[in-house]
Order: sequence, then C-alpha cells, then structure tokens
Amino acid sequence: MSTESTAKQLSIPGVDFHTDEPLVHGNLSFHDITELVSYHTEKKTPMGWYAAFSGASLLLLILLVMIAYLFWNGIGVWGLNNPVGWGYAIVNFVFWVGIGHAGTLISAILFLFRQKWRTAINRSAEAMTIFAVICALLFPTIHVGRVWVIFWTLPYPNQMEMWPQFKSPLIWDFFAISVYFMVSLMFWYVGLIPDLATLRDRTTRKLRQKVLGALALGWTGANRHWRNYEKAYLILAALATPLVLSVHSVVSFDFAVSIVPGWHTTIFPPYFVAGAIFSGFAMVVTLMVVARKVFGIEDIITVNHLEKMNIIILLTGSMVGFAYITEFFIAWYSGVHYEQYAFINRAFGPYAWAYWTMLSCNLLFPQFFWIKKLRRSIPFMFVIVILVNVGMWFERFVIVVISLHRDYLPSAWDYYSPTLVDILTLVGSFGLFFTMYLLFLRFLPMVAVAEVKGVLPEAHPHFYKHSGDGQEADHTVGVTPKRDA
Amino acid sequence: MIELPVIDVSEDVEQTSRARFWRSIHHFQNDPEYRRIIREELLPGASDGPSGASRRQFLQIMGASIALAGLTACRRPIENIMPFVRKPEEMIPGVPAYYATSMPFRGSLRGLLVKSTDGRPTKIEGNPEHPDSLGATSVFEQAALLSLYDPDRSQTVLRNGKPSSWNDFYNFLSGRLADHRVAVISEPNSSMTFAALREQLSRRFASLDWIEYDATGDDAFASASRKVYGQALRPRYHFDRAKVILSLDADFLGATDRDTISNTRGFAAGRRVDDGSEMNRLYVVESQYSITGGMADNRLRLRSSDMAAFVAALAGEFGIVVSGGEAFADHAYVKEIAVDLRRAGPKGVVLAGESQGEAVHALCIAINDILGAVGETVTYLEGNEESAYRISVLRDLIASMSAGRVDILFIIGANPVYDAPPDLGFADAMGAVRETIHLGLYVDETASASEWHLPRTHFLESWGDGRSYDGTMSVTQPLIAPLYEDARSELEIISLAATGARTTGYDLVRQTWQGILGSNFEAAWPRVLHDGLLPDSGFGAVIPRLRTSALPSAVSTVDAGIELVLRLDNSLLDGSYANNAWLQELPDPTTKIVWDNVAIMNPATAESLGLGMDLTNGRHFVDRVTITVRGSSVDVPIWIQPGLADQTVALALGYGRTTVSNRPERRTNLFDLDDYTDVYGHGAISTGVGENVSVLRSSDSMSVITGAEFVRSGGDYMVASTQDHGALPEEQDEVARRGIFRMATLEEFRADPHFVSEHEPEPIRESWAEYPTLWESDHPTGEDAYKDNDYYRNQWGMVIDLNTCTGCNACIVACQSENNIQVVGKEEVSRGREMHWLRLDRYYVSGDGLSHDDPHMVIQPMPCMHCENAPCEEVCPVSATVHSPDGTNQMVYNRCIGTRYCANNCPYKVRRFNYYNWTKTLPITIQMAQNPNVTVRSRGVMEKCSYCIQRIREVNKRANIEERAPEKGEVVTACQQVCPASAITFGDLNRADSEVNKKRKSTRRYELLAELGVKPRTSYLGRIRNPNPRLMSEA
Repeated sequence: MSTESTAKQLSIPGVDFHTDEPLVHGNLSFHDITELVSYHTEKKTPMGWYAAFSGASLLLLILLVMIAYLFWNGIGVWGLNNPVGWGYAIVNFVFWVGIGHAGTLISAILFLFRQKWRTAINRSAEAMTIFAVICALLFPTIHVGRVWVIFWTLPYPNQMEMWPQFKSPLIWDFFAISVYFMVSLMFWYVGLIPDLATLRDRTTRKLRQKVLGALALGWTGANRHWRNYEKAYLILAALATPLVLSVHSVVSFDFAVSIVPGWHTTIFPPYFVAGAIFSGFAMVVTLMVVARKVFGIEDIITVNHLEKMNIIILLTGSMVGFAYITEFFIAWYSGVHYEQYAFINRAFGPYAWAYWTMLSCNLLFPQFFWIKKLRRSIPFMFVIVILVNVGMWFERFVIVVISLHRDYLPSAWDYYSPTLVDILTLVGSFGLFFTMYLLFLRFLPMVAVAEVKGVLPEAHPHFYKHSGDGQEADHTVGVTPKRDA
Repeated sequence: MIELPVIDVSEDVEQTSRARFWRSIHHFQNDPEYRRIIREELLPGASDGPSGASRRQFLQIMGASIALAGLTACRRPIENIMPFVRKPEEMIPGVPAYYATSMPFRGSLRGLLVKSTDGRPTKIEGNPEHPDSLGATSVFEQAALLSLYDPDRSQTVLRNGKPSSWNDFYNFLSGRLADHRVAVISEPNSSMTFAALREQLSRRFASLDWIEYDATGDDAFASASRKVYGQALRPRYHFDRAKVILSLDADFLGATDRDTISNTRGFAAGRRVDDGSEMNRLYVVESQYSITGGMADNRLRLRSSDMAAFVAALAGEFGIVVSGGEAFADHAYVKEIAVDLRRAGPKGVVLAGESQGEAVHALCIAINDILGAVGETVTYLEGNEESAYRISVLRDLIASMSAGRVDILFIIGANPVYDAPPDLGFADAMGAVRETIHLGLYVDETASASEWHLPRTHFLESWGDGRSYDGTMSVTQPLIAPLYEDARSELEIISLAATGARTTGYDLVRQTWQGILGSNFEAAWPRVLHDGLLPDSGFGAVIPRLRTSALPSAVSTVDAGIELVLRLDNSLLDGSYANNAWLQELPDPTTKIVWDNVAIMNPATAESLGLGMDLTNGRHFVDRVTITVRGSSVDVPIWIQPGLADQTVALALGYGRTTVSNRPERRTNLFDLDDYTDVYGHGAISTGVGENVSVLRSSDSMSVITGAEFVRSGGDYMVASTQDHGALPEEQDEVARRGIFRMATLEEFRADPHFVSEHEPEPIRESWAEYPTLWESDHPTGEDAYKDNDYYRNQWGMVIDLNTCTGCNACIVACQSENNIQVVGKEEVSRGREMHWLRLDRYYVSGDGLSHDDPHMVIQPMPCMHCENAPCEEVCPVSATVHSPDGTNQMVYNRCIGTRYCANNCPYKVRRFNYYNWTKTLPITIQMAQNPNVTVRSRGVMEKCSYCIQRIREVNKRANIEERAPEKGEVVTACQQVCPASAITFGDLNRADSEVNKKRKSTRRYELLAELGVKPRTSYLGRIRNPNPRLMSEA
C-alpha cells in the first residue's frame, strides 16, 4: 500500500492536503524517527565529520588571526577610506543578521500559523540562526576603531556619568540584535528539552547521562511537563514573532536614519525584512540539501519541505526585487537630485558590476522557481540558493559601499576596494559559522524529534483504532535507519 | 639567592670513626669527580636545565617583576622634576609667549610672530606689524616650523662624510686661511650683517670671489630693468590700485612668488565688490595652470615660448616696434587687452613670470611705463643688483675652480651640486677645489660632495637680520637654543673665516644694528627686537627713465615642438623644503598631487606623445616618460591636466633629492605595520620622492626648454592625488547641478545681487534671517544652562569668500600646524586617508563657451561646517561628537570609539579617521612641534576641524579672568589668521557688529547643501568673475 493512499484512507492529520502528501516519507514509526535522528549524535564520529570540522576550524583560525592583526594594527588594514567609512565589516554584519532571520521565522511565525511542515527543519534552522547572529554580532564589535572601549555603547552606570546616545541607531541595533539573540537562544533551547531527554534516556555512558541530564532539566515526558512546555513554547513564539520583524527593521535604521543618498529611504525596514527572510531561507535550503543527504534523513526533510521553502524564496525574492524597482521609482519621483544620482550611480557607476550581480541573483534567478519541476530539483535549487546567498551579500555591498563612495560633494568621491584582510575575514566568518554548525550536527539532534513525531500519522489519537481491537493497523511502520551515514 | 643548608658530603667521609657504609669505590675514595656529582645532585639548582635561570631564579625574578609592574602603575616619574627656583622673566608655564622674528625666503625676509610654548616654538604666524606680512604668511612660513624639528637635520660636523668636530674645523681653518684663494657661493641673503661680514672677508682676502647662487638662475626682471632703466630693480605691484592686470606666465599669487603675500592682499582688495566698488580684471596668459590662472577673468593658454611673440604684438599696440610678434598681431586677446589697458591707463599693469626672459620683461616694463603705471600700480625698488647676473658669475667661478684658481670654497646654504645646470659642470669643478666647506641644514647633495660639512642653525635657532621684499629692515631672533650643539649660523661661519674669532651671532647682529640705529641704539634696539623690524626702513622707490633705445627690437620666436617648462614647486620650492613632510603631503594647488613631481600636459599633448593615465579602483595609474634634453634625461610619471597650452609639458623642481639621514630604518615583524605607518621610518623624507628635473636645464635655458625628446618608458605608476576624480565630465555636471560652487559674472551680479539663490536647490526649510534659531529655541536664554554658562553668549560662525580665495594652500598647513594633524604618506593618501582637516576642493568649470580642454578652475576651501543640526551628532552611539554651548560641533577624542558612522553621515565629508596610530612612531623632535593645547590623536578616533576650539577657549579664559566679554575679532582661527587674501572671516554671530555678521549680510552668501536642513555655520560668498564680454566667446 502506498503511503499516499494510506494517508487518504486514514484521513488523519499530519498530512498536508494541499499537496496531498504526508510530511514524513518512508512510513516511519516514532521509534524510527528517534533512531534516525539520535543515531547521529551517538555513533562513532565519522571521518567525514573530522574532515569538514578541520576545514571549518582552519577558516575559523584564519578569522582569529585576521582579528588579531586588525586589533594589533588598526582599522587601516581594511580597505576603508574617507568617504567609505563602512565596508566589508558592515556588509558582512547585515548579511549574517539577514541569514539569522529564517530560523526564528520558521520556528515562531510558522508555528503560530500552524505550518506543520516546519517541524522537519526548525531545529537546524534555529541553530543556523543562532550561529549566524553570533557571526553578525562579531562584525560591529571588531569594526570600531577602539575596540577596547566598546563597552561604552552599553548603558551601565559609571563614574563618568556618561550614557550611550540613545538617538543613535547603533544603540538600537545593539538592543535589537542582542534581544533577538537571547530570545532565539531560549526558544531553541526550550525546543531542545524533550529531545535532550530522549538522548539522555538512550545513552548508557555516565558522563553523557550527566550532561544531557542537566541540560534536559529533569524532563520526564509527564503530562504536566508537556502542558507547561507547550505553553512556554507558544509564549516564546509569540515573543519571537515581533522580533523577527523588528530586528532587521532596526538594522535597516542604521542606514535609513542617516542622510546619505541611497541610505535615507523609508522603504528600508520592510525591504530589509523581506531580504532577510529571503537570504535566511536560501541559507536553510543550502544547509538542508546537504545535511539531509549526508545524514540520510531525506524522509524527514523531504523535497516537499524544500519546495515550500523555495516558494518562500520566490515570494520574498520578488518582494526584494519589487523594492529595488520602487527605490528607483522613488528616486526619480522625489525629484531630489542626490537620490537620483545615487541610484543612477548604482546601476551605471564604477560599481555597476556589483549592482547587476545583485539584481540578477536576487530578482532574476529565483524566478525560475515558478516552474515546479525546477523548484523540486535538488541540484537546480542548490545552485539557485547559492546564487541568492551571493546576491544578498552583494545587496548589502551595494547599499553600504556604493551609497557612500559618491555622496554629496564630488570632490570627496573615492573608490573602495577591499584588502586581503577584508576578504579573509569574510571567509573566516564562514569558518566560525560552520565550526559551530558542525558541532551542533555532531552533538545535538538536528531534527526536532518530538515535534516531528507530532505530525506523524501515528500521533493521531485514532491511529490505532482502525483495526478495532486496539492493536496496530495492518500496515507496518518502520524501516531500518541507514547506518552508513 | 637564598642558601639552603646542605650537607657537604666531603666533610664526614674521612673524619668519622664510625662504621662506614659506602656504595662504590669512588665514594669510598672520595673521588673529586664523584663529589662533584654528589654535590650537584643535592645542591639547589641541581635540577636546572641547561639555560641560565633556575626555577628559583625564575620565580624570584617573576615575583619581583610583578611587584615592580604593580609599582609602575603608580606612575612615579623617574626624572627629578624641579620647579624653577627663580622663574624666568615673563615665562609662565603653559602660557605661550610670542616673539617677533623673520624668515629668509628667496633672498628676502618675511616678518613673523612665533608662538613659544614653554621654550619651544609651536606655531608661526605672520607679524601683523610687519608691512610685508600684516599677519599673513604663505605655506612656507607655516611649514618652516616642522623643518626646525626635522629629525633629518644635520647634527654634527662632518669631514669627508665622517663625524668630526668644531675644534678640528677651527684648526683646519686657522691653518689654511692665510694666503689662500677663497670663494664663496651663497644663497641670496638680504642680511646687512652678512653683507658687512662679506666686506670684512673681502678685505682679508683680496682675491675673494663671492657669488650669489639661486636655483632659478638670473632674475630676468632685474636684468631687464638694468637694461632699460640702467639699474637692477625689483618691482612691487599694487594690485589693489589696479583695474586691469595682465599676467604673462606670472604666478604672482602662487606661494613661490617672492612677494606673494603683498600681491595676494592687493589683488584680493581689488576683488571686493559688495560695497559696489569697481572690480579689477585679471588677464592671465600662461602655459600651465597656476592658481593665478584660476583667478583669471580671461585666461589664454599659450606656450611659454610664444609669450615673447604675444607680448611683442601687445607692445606693438602701444607703439613699441618689435618684430617677432606678427603671429599675434590680430589676436583677439592682444587687441582686447590693449584696449582695456589703455582705458585703465595708470590703473593697468603688466607683469611677466620667472619663466620669461629679459626681452619679455623689458617689454612689460615698457608697457607699464607707457601706461603711466609706474608709481601707481607698480613701484620699482632698488636692491636687486646681484640677482641680475647670477649665471654669468657662476660660470666665471666654475671656470676659476676648474682652473685651480680656488683653494677654499665656502658654500652657504645653496645646493648647486643638486640644481646647477649640468652644462656648467659644477660638480666636476668642485672636485678641482682643494678644500670645500658646506654649511647647510641637511647633509644634502652638495654636503656629500664637500670635504667639510657644517650643520647650520635653523632661522628659529639663530640670530640674523635682513630686509623684507620691500626693504624693511628686520631682525631674526632665535626662539630656541640650537637643537644640535654643532649647528652654527652663516653669520658665525663667515665671521670665523673673516676674523678667525668665534663671535656669536647675537654680537654680530648687534654690531650691525649699532651702526643702523646710531647713537640711539640702546633705546631703539629693544623696540626693534619687540617689533621685529625697523619701521620705514624700506627701499626707496625709484622713478627711473625708460631708455627706449634699450628695448629689444626683436623677440625670438620658437617654432613648434613641445616645450618643457620648469618651475619652482608649489610645495617644495627649489627642493630646500623637500624634507618637510607637511609640504610633501600638501596637495599641489591645481593637480592635488602629493609626494611626487609629474610631467603635466594637456590631453592633446599627451595623445600626441602616446601617453595616458587611467583611474583604477580610485587610484591613478599613469605612464612614465623619459625626457631627454641634450643628453641628459629623466624618467618621470606624467599627469594630464586640462587647461594647459598645447605642446607644453610642465615640470617642478625640488624633487629627486638624496638627503643623507642617519636614523635607522624602521623594521618590524610580519604582524606589525609600524614600519608601514612610520612616515619617518625610512630615511630622509625627501630621498626617493620624485625625480630631479633640473638636470634638463642648461645655463641659457633655465626654465623654458625646447627640443626635448619624449619616450614612453613604462606605465602603471601610481600617483597619489587627494581629489580622485579629476576632471571627469560627469563630475562637472554634478557640481553645477548641486550648486556647490556658485559664481556669476560681474554683469550678472550687478543685475541680480542675489544670484546665489538661483542655484539654491529646493527646498529650504527655514528662513535664515533669524540666526541661530535652532540653538536658541533649544536653549532659551532664560534657562539655567544659559545663565550659568558664559559660552552661550557667543555663537561662532565663519564665512569664506570664494571671490578672494586664491587657493594658495597656506590655510591647510596653518591648520596642520595648529591642530597637530599627522602626515600619512603617499600610499595612504592614495587610499583616500589623508588627514587634512581643511581641504581645498578644486573644480574645473567648462560650458558657457569653454571647452573641456580649456576650463576655468575654481577652488573651494572645505572645513567643517559646524552644522547647527549636525548629522554627525545624531548618529554617534556614545555622544563623542556633540554641540558646544557656543555652537561649534566638537569632537571628544577620549570618548570616541571609532564607529565612523559620523563620517558616513557627514554630507561634506570633512571628518578624518585615524586608520592607524600615526603618532606612535613620531620622532621625538617632531613631537616637539605638536601644539600642546591640542590633543594628539591616537589610532581609531575620528577628528575634524574644530574652529580652533583651543583658541576660542583661550580667549574665553582670558575674558573670564578679566571679567569681560570676548572682544570683537579676538578669536582668530589658524586658517583665518594665515590667509593673505582675508578670504576667511570668523566671529561671533551674536554680535551685531562682528565682521562675520557683516559678511553674512552679503547678497552673495550661500550655504552649501543647505537644502539638507543641516544649517551649516560656515557659509560661502559666491565668486564673481569680471571677464571681458568681447572675449567671452573666445577660447
């Protein structure tokens, strides 16, 4: 009996009737899910992981060396100059914050909207969010000229009786991102508790029991626990939802509040949020396409999941593209010469290559996802999402650098080119990200086991009643997880 | 070290009678080797590794180090600091004193007032009492301060390049002088004492051959006037009285002109039009683009070699028959200029530049004479005799030197090995002289070629005197004892040679002045020292008779071909300022190039030579060209600048120096960039910058050279310019559309005095009549904050008159000196990281009948605007840039964390960021040049123009102590003070009668980017041009 007909015949929840496909393929039982996911944290560490981890840590080492070099010598090791006071560091910052959007969006907003397909990807997307926000937080920290007094941006009582200047968007930034980080971290951790308890219960090693036991906060799976847990999760989701929208709006204020032509734009908050979701989903797809293959969890993260994310990429990509066009229209419509020049300079000035890279990657290429076949093709979507990642990095480059390099007085115009240190710092930030991500994959369940179980046919209260005698139905559930992954 | 009681094995081995237990035969026999082993096994340190320190020692040292490290945190000074037991007269620690002195510049003195803080000079200003300065200076006076502290200055007596001593030199000299044939090559020097010593020396050595040497060669004006007037004169132009001025290749407003301050002041006076007075009209005919050309109302680009023909044609219009000008006989400029000049009569004036020869100068003199301008717009002063024939006397001396007729050669200050025309063969002739003695500030080319090198005192360290350009007798007083013990002044050296006695400079100068002041000396001398000058001691004006017969009957015309025009550099002069980092990093007034000399040509000439340049990633990469003249060649990078005459290539002297520095090369490890950021870390500043182009000259063509060959020798040479985009057509359009620089012709201005508002982009949000409104509404006068703080009473503001600003650069260096602005080097400038707080934006203007090839050039000084509604202040996360009660926008360096957000948000881009720690590696002497009243910034902080807040507070302080309000005009910013054109006005906006408020009432006033609503406190007065309407469509 095919899974499809089973689903129809049983008409049980957990099946998305829009696609008429079950969310989890392969006819997996509760136990199979547990096995399939837990196995990867319990098996002997495969050589492939070591290879990937050493690659990532090498990049991380490069990042650390670059930061040490920067701290030792000063901001001059970057390519910045007089008109262009912000370069790669801020571009990378916005880029990583943007990526850090998808996780909480998937967890919180899709949770509130009862999008059950989120369960397969929310854990790793949230992990990605946290790691991306850590990468993002790094950049504004290291980009200040005197990093040793950066704590002056914190509001703390001090003998100087000096407070940060609350009018500055950089201060808003600090609050927005740190709150977002903390809520995301809490949300992620709360979601992890039942799974940590599962791992704890499975292990026989003492240390592992102790650590997981401590982290699982005494979870027993009791009804009371579940009730409190569900409440807490809902509340956190409700708290996180506005943050998803606010954090990138606030990041966009860094630019929108200034008077630099090309920055001073009221469209920025929604445009940045759409862009962030766009880039965040692209990153999730990038990671999932690889992870599901490597870890053999194609049945949990199915092509259907990827397709749904691709649809969101298509939607947000078009929104971003619409924003690009709107910016141009407003520049013309405003009649403000500086604005007009800023946008003409984007498209036809010395950085036109960056602009057209951005436009084709973000607006043009995702349009292929209108075609169902393409948006379900794993290799094709992989190429597209990589291009979207590139395009979104360039979007920030376009906004930050092109606007600054030619503003009001032509006498001050200049050109910005990154140094090797700039480039290696960007590359190194991926090292930081992947190091953390690989550690996550190795030690924590990459899929929210408890949540996925909730969307299985098995979770339906009437699942067992069909045979009439309280016994399991005549269809068999269960496969042996692949052990070679 | 603590000794622990340890059993000595040897003691009890023999002496005990008890039963003995032993382990080996060595033990039993008490073998010394065995004892050593035992001892080492048991003694402290037995477990030591092979390295020097034991574990115990290590712990001891570490313990002590930590204790000491803790103690150093207490910051106890190591030196004994003692108060003055008796306070030196008039010296209050921290309160600067000002002394009048003067600086030699191209053979005359410039009157100065130097600020001395706790015994060291920290800022140079013009002497307001001095008729030649009236408080203003050029770039060179400003930068001279840094030369004093130059770490590359020569510090010891050298003999054949090896350190020697004064005693050796005395012995050498006293043994030699008796009956030797002595020659002296001296830089032009107006000193009366110097002249007296020369007299003494010639009395002692009958065969004394004393010549004056200058890198520019003969002063053509002097020789022309000698010919047509019978005496070598120097002209003093009175541009304030002139209505029509014609400059033929004369950059009389440029910093290299000997009389630039007076010229600029007079010219600016003739440009002030707000009171309805008439405005002068400046015609400039020139081959290169000078700042004088930028001020021109009508400018004709013409090869320097064609200037003679042009002036011959013009002379023809005035009835002087000269052949050779036929080509220009019907030239519109000749006709129109002649008409204008004739109409102006005595109010007209014609002058030629240093590139021009005797004939052109003679014809200019004749035209001025015919106009009746002598005594009106130009007066002739005596005292220029020797400059008329410098080349011929040099040639004679070289001949005697080569012939072995010179035994001892003194070279005072001059550097002929570097810049004498090679055809004279100076260096070879020098080899034929037995003893050569060089006195100079640096171990330069001539010093290296001399047997003896004597370190010279800087003018701020020595006594001297002399005459200013107009002849006013002035005194040079030392502000500081010589930094280097061995340094002596030229007076002391010549006196030593003349008398054999070691007389101090002070005594020598005093002696001279006893003669000058006569019986009244004791009473008058302090006054002279105080004022720095003797009033009314100028050269007498001469009203000579023109000898028309002596006028040239023909001028030579040079056929086509590319000419080379060599000029003094706008920043380094003849190279004597080449070791000054401020000047090396001073953007050229027109090309904005730093740290290089380039062959400048216009696009057409470059194309014809197959040369080009391109802009890649914000940097200029240019071709290099080998220029060969009569066998000498140099390889220089090119630069393409519009507005030059076709077939002209311009080069600047003063580069390609080889100054010897004994400071060690700074080397750091891979991780540390101190070697990169240390501008002073790689030998002398001047060494290796640019090429020495004086080798292309010959004694008969010192500045205009024809017949040069040009061969492209390479490409991709990086040239650093502070304005990156040069003359892109799109940029010109942008400037016009944005109303950045607003100008009108005189006619347009008379028709519509409010022409600047035509360019005002919409929308202006607030009326400017009630100013400052924003601050006032935020801070009503009734509030405590106002009442408790005196600063609220003054609201500072600035107005910059674009009509009088010539772009001479003096303000940039003044600002640099006043505000401790660091130098960053060529590489960093090319990355757009120069630190100048005040920049002079240069724009070319075409359209209105002007082609891209022949644009106007305008200059716009750009300091911080001190916006009332400052965008930088809004975005700083830590309030490091805030508004002061008196309305300035302040930078709090201590608070700045360096986000650079403020710089991004500054629409004028006047903020400067310390990308590296520029002050960490400053040589100790350069540290002495820093203004103690201004924070020396470290890395990672933002900085910018502060309206010289330290000066404002100084005045506030003084006023508070004296319980009064700051007086009108009491606060003067550094840029304002130095400006010879008085283009910058600064003052209190709250005082109805302040100068700045008067200027603000001008109809020409506009605020840059006012439409942004930032309310800049600095505003501009639009430029007025007065072109000849009949020449408008020409060119």
